Amino acid sequence: MKTRMIGIVAACALLPFAAGCGSGGDKPKQTVTIWWAQWAPADGLQELGQEFEAETGIAVKVHQIPWSSYQDQVFLDFGSKKTSFDVVVGDSQWIGRGATNGFYLELTNWLPTAVDMSTVHPRAARYLCEYPSGSGRFFAAPCETDAIGFAYRKDWFEDAKEKEAFRLKYGRELVPPETWDDFLEVAEFFARPREKRYGCAILTGRAYDSLVMGYQQIMWSFGGSWGDETTYAVNGHANSDAAVEALWFVKKLLKFSPKNGADLDYGQTLEAFINGSTAMSMNYFAFFPDIVSNIGDKAGFFIMPRQGDRRVVSLGGQGFSISAKTSPEQQELAKKFIAWFLQEKVQRKWITKPAGFTANTAILGSEEFRKANPYNAAFAESLDSLQDFWNVPAYNELLAAAQKYVGEALDNVKTPKDALDALAAEHEKIFRDAKLLKQ
Amino acid sequence: MLKYGFIAPALIILIALNIFPLFYNIILGFTNSELSTGGTECAGLRNYSIIFTEPKFAAALRTTALFVFAAVTAELALGFGLALALKDRFRGKTPLLTLLLIPMMLSQAVMGRYWYLILNGESGILNNLLGMAGLHQPQWLNDPGLKLVSVLIIDVWMWTPFMMLIALAGLNSIPQYIYEAAEIDRAGTWTVFRRITLPMCAPLLVLAVLLRTTDALKQFDLVLATTGPNDAATQTLSALLYQTVFKDSRVGLGCAYACIILVIVIALASVFTRYIDFIQSK
Repeated sequence: MKTRMIGIVAACALLPFAAGCGSGGDKPKQTVTIWWAQWAPADGLQELGQEFEAETGIAVKVHQIPWSSYQDQVFLDFGSKKTSFDVVVGDSQWIGRGATNGFYLELTNWLPTAVDMSTVHPRAARYLCEYPSGSGRFFAAPCETDAIGFAYRKDWFEDAKEKEAFRLKYGRELVPPETWDDFLEVAEFFARPREKRYGCAILTGRAYDSLVMGYQQIMWSFGGSWGDETTYAVNGHANSDAAVEALWFVKKLLKFSPKNGADLDYGQTLEAFINGSTAMSMNYFAFFPDIVSNIGDKAGFFIMPRQGDRRVVSLGGQGFSISAKTSPEQQELAKKFIAWFLQEKVQRKWITKPAGFTANTAILGSEEFRKANPYNAAFAESLDSLQDFWNVPAYNELLAAAQKYVGEALDNVKTPKDALDALAAEHEKIFRDAKLLKQ
Repeated sequence: MLKYGFIAPALIILIALNIFPLFYNIILGFTNSELSTGGTECAGLRNYSIIFTEPKFAAALRTTALFVFAAVTAELALGFGLALALKDRFRGKTPLLTLLLIPMMLSQAVMGRYWYLILNGESGILNNLLGMAGLHQPQWLNDPGLKLVSVLIIDVWMWTPFMMLIALAGLNSIPQYIYEAAEIDRAGTWTVFRRITLPMCAPLLVLAVLLRTTDALKQFDLVLATTGPNDAATQTLSALLYQTVFKDSRVGLGCAYACIILVIVIALASVFTRYIDFIQSK
């Protein structure tokens, strides 16, 4: 009995080796592993990956990670000797950290051979691909170019009674607002809390970056800035009179928002619009397919309003960055896929995928693109006004501080002036610790 | 030698999972170690200097202390009260007890997300009920004055049953003849409670308070699920630690925070265990 048991155990232990010998020594299939956040564009990328495999025999695996833990998982993985991915579609702000710490492979010499850079929208190239911005050094290739825009209830705006009432009250037509002052009036007009109807839902979420993304474009359009991009001086910029005025304006908008309007992230502004309670909702264009599938043609879309002649839009989107911690063979496979993806014929397929947005200028300017989805025209118009938050390696600390202090102003813990003064002081401390600010 | 062979596996695991990480943590607290780069250079006392000069740590310590005091006090009072009410046998005691224990058995992170929906200022069921009753509908998770209160409510809801269970065990351990003797001596209800019930339950209650205090000091799941780890109103020490290590990637600073927290927990635990010894010696 004992001998028989030993024999059975030994046979089981040897089985895997026997199976390995019997396989005939087949080569494992070539696969490019891409990490991206869990959302609609990643599904589209996987579909295109299957087409790439059909053409080249190289498999593409898009591994999707929930947004809430995406950044943590990616940078944790960069701590390993070899990453579990070949390509990461990283948030634009990550590029500084990825470039300076040697996580991202430099693509300066390769990218112009893979795509004609004159066909890439200059703002997309600057903020998604370059580090430092304007340096001509590339650490990412454009994948998903995104921007913040507004969805609005077209049926409410086109209702004859609403139009008449608006004309009587404000002396002008009820149309999607062109300026922030117009926006405030429209938001005020549609704010009827007793009927559970609200004028606007703007991005104010505290968890990651939605408050900063929502606030900064208003700040920029009012003439404020996060700081001097050359000297990294923040005092006098982030807490300038223009920035303070912008923050007061955001507080005014909150009066016409849902009750929890001071803390709405991307999903919640989407929900506030889809549930039929809000007239205008701010979000990244990549979230608008959900609106179209839920509300259909009752929803319209417009570009970020301007203040005076200044219109600025928060950049979104991600670029393909090749891991410097994967093998050279895998890096070559990754380059093959990215070069294939950037071809115009593939970009034309990419824009047919839900929330597949391109940086290709020829496609962006085409009538075909503008008509493909109801939000595409507004998206194409937005690209010339794109701007991004700091993308230096310490961006996350800068972002956390901005989220905290701007949030305190919205929560009435501090006045906008005090909040922005505190923010400026903290940002300068962070830059000093990072040895960027010399003073 | 054989005897060492038998205890070696347990000893190796203990050293690998407890002793080594503890000492490595202390060492990392004196470096500028980063999460992704893995680079480690000596930073001397810089991390500790940051901790004691930046307002973030003091604010997190205040929030944690307030949370621990309020949560443990409320749970003790409610738990002991429930235990007193459920001490005697009555019909339906077992199913009622089971129902009361359910919150304690659920995952904190999951319950945090459920309460996040319940407390939603616009569409949450709590505010809808308050609205139907014609009452004011507070912004539980938006009003900075109410954010910590909201986290407290969830914590008290989850852990009062734990206090109740321990208190019930304490109450059931008191011999009946002591109460009979007190009745013979015509002791009033308050005297019986003050001179018999409370003192005889005290060791178990203090143990329960110690366990809940050390648990509340670690509070993170509910904060993450409701307000996020970077919210000034609810940033506990654990949330600050998480933000520092996993978001800001500053492992060295995070380790220094962890050392300070360890010292606080050891100090508190020492106070409690000495008090337990004191009560038992009496």
